[in-house]
Amino acid sequence: MAQLQIFIQLILAGVLQGGTYALAAFGLSLIFCIANVLNITHGEFLMLGGLVTYIIFGATGWNPFLILLIVIPLFVCVGFAYQKIFMKPILNRPPRQLLFSSIVVTVGIATAIEDTTSFIWGPTVKGVSFSMPAIMAGGIVISSLRLTILLSIIALTVFLHFYLKKSFMGKAIRAILQNREGATVIGINVPRVVTFVFGIAISLAAVAGVFYVMQFTIGPFIGLPLTIRYIAIVMLGGSGSLIGSLVGGLILGVAETFAGFFLGSHWSLTIAFFTLVLVLLLKPEGLFKHV
Amino acid sequence: MFRKGATLLYGFWILVLIAILLVPKFVDPYWVVFLLLLFMYVGIGSSFNITAGYLGYVNLGHYVFFGISAYGFAILYSKGVPFVICMATGVLVTLIFATLISYPFLRLKGGYFALANFGLIKLFELVAGSLRDFTGGTQGISLTPGYRPFQTYYMFLGVALLTIFVCYWIPKSKFGLALFSIREDEEVAEAFGINVNRRKMGAYVLSSVFPALLGAGYAWYSAYIDPEVVFGTDKALLPVTMVMLGGTGTFLGPIFGAIFMLIIEEFLWTSTWLPVWIKSLHLTMLGLILASVGIFSPGGLVTLSPCAAFFRKVGMGRFLGSSHKTLNVG
Repeated sequence: MAQLQIFIQLILAGVLQGGTYALAAFGLSLIFCIANVLNITHGEFLMLGGLVTYIIFGATGWNPFLILLIVIPLFVCVGFAYQKIFMKPILNRPPRQLLFSSIVVTVGIATAIEDTTSFIWGPTVKGVSFSMPAIMAGGIVISSLRLTILLSIIALTVFLHFYLKKSFMGKAIRAILQNREGATVIGINVPRVVTFVFGIAISLAAVAGVFYVMQFTIGPFIGLPLTIRYIAIVMLGGSGSLIGSLVGGLILGVAETFAGFFLGSHWSLTIAFFTLVLVLLLKPEGLFKHV
Repeated sequence: MFRKGATLLYGFWILVLIAILLVPKFVDPYWVVFLLLLFMYVGIGSSFNITAGYLGYVNLGHYVFFGISAYGFAILYSKGVPFVICMATGVLVTLIFATLISYPFLRLKGGYFALANFGLIKLFELVAGSLRDFTGGTQGISLTPGYRPFQTYYMFLGVALLTIFVCYWIPKSKFGLALFSIREDEEVAEAFGINVNRRKMGAYVLSSVFPALLGAGYAWYSAYIDPEVVFGTDKALLPVTMVMLGGTGTFLGPIFGAIFMLIIEEFLWTSTWLPVWIKSLHLTMLGLILASVGIFSPGGLVTLSPCAAFFRKVGMGRFLGSSHKTLNVG
């Protein structure tokens, strides 16, 4: 019985972790597919989202879920600005040059963001001490904070799914994913969609950051390792696919939690990467096709 | 048969080489270490350029070969095995690893290839930190300490010259032509009868030799390695950024990038006339420099007009393109 309870708890923790991963990973895969940009800065935006939450929470003590309402529009604007200033000059280059330029530019900005944050706010880890009562159900302890986060992630995913299926912008994104030239021919303004995708993707990363800072702690240098995790998820699930990011995130989250419990926490990422290499060997294009 | 200018140029390079060989005799050990690191980065950067510049596959995890070899060397050396055998084992292990991993990874294209290799670095950092009995975990491995910058200086100089020579030879060879045509269009290259998979694998494994040699040498030189030192993400990205700063796909780019970056690191941030807040933000400045190079000069610094004009003037203009002897496919 105790075994089963531990098992269920681990699954829950893994699903929660994976859900947080999936949100940001989907943003990365959208940018990668629509703009062909390898966005190494993505994890930094998660960190910045968490940092903004930490600052607002420290100043006002509001409920972090309320802070979400500030973070989302703020980071949509940040995404627009990021695209306008750094990405727009390089987007029209031929594919190989675009890959090189995007790596140089995003690595540079990631370094700059890391260094500036650690200079201004110090290298120490920060967390938001916000807690909600735990729920006991049949011997399984569930933190209601985590449950709320999980529900919010599910709600966001469902919203994103219907947004991509029903709205005009969502349809435009899917059209570009299927055939870029075709989308241009039927009159979709591709550069505008690209700008928009940057806004969505970066605000998704920031939302993941808000959830991250509620559960764990953030420091200025968490960005790059997280970006690598997202990369694994995107490759696992197949790029440009919401369901792929979700499944990839869940696989990674559950694998990490189980490995962390049974082998020790330092093994968790290793397992994730062995899964990745296995998938690359068996199915190099990822588990799902786009959208 | 040389033109007069060319003879002068060769004479100049021979003088430079002699000067470099004599440097440790006359200057402060501080500069010996500085040059040693410069050779190391030239070696890693130029070999990164074989896959990234010539083949067109951006191997963001190139530094992994350095680390694997360093660990292979250090584990054996700490057990008292002779130097040459340790070195050979380190390089051999790296070669075997590169051959094995090239099969799944070279099936990926463009960005995915870069991403997968990037993940490899983190994976190895974690594995090296986790296998406590084998690698000493995060504590690292300490070798018998010794003061050996001079031997390392000549060793790294040798490896750097070898790398430069190979990078000079590739664009002139048939192998290099095959790489260039794969870079431009893989399907067309295959249709023309190039064994694409074998060439890609060849380039990947060839590029892993040089960081492997340097990695083993570095472990010997520093007498201490831990996962953070040989697999750290920031350290792994340094040679890559040097090459991209200098100019990918050109013969001169990696060399120029390494010199430029190390000079900035050494002189600007240790100088006394800069205000303190700029110096404490030096990584930010470096990041912004990188970003602006990516935005304004996609070919790297060597293709910027003042630099390019300088290199043309000293007779090295043909090294600014990717292939300097054969027909220009780039």
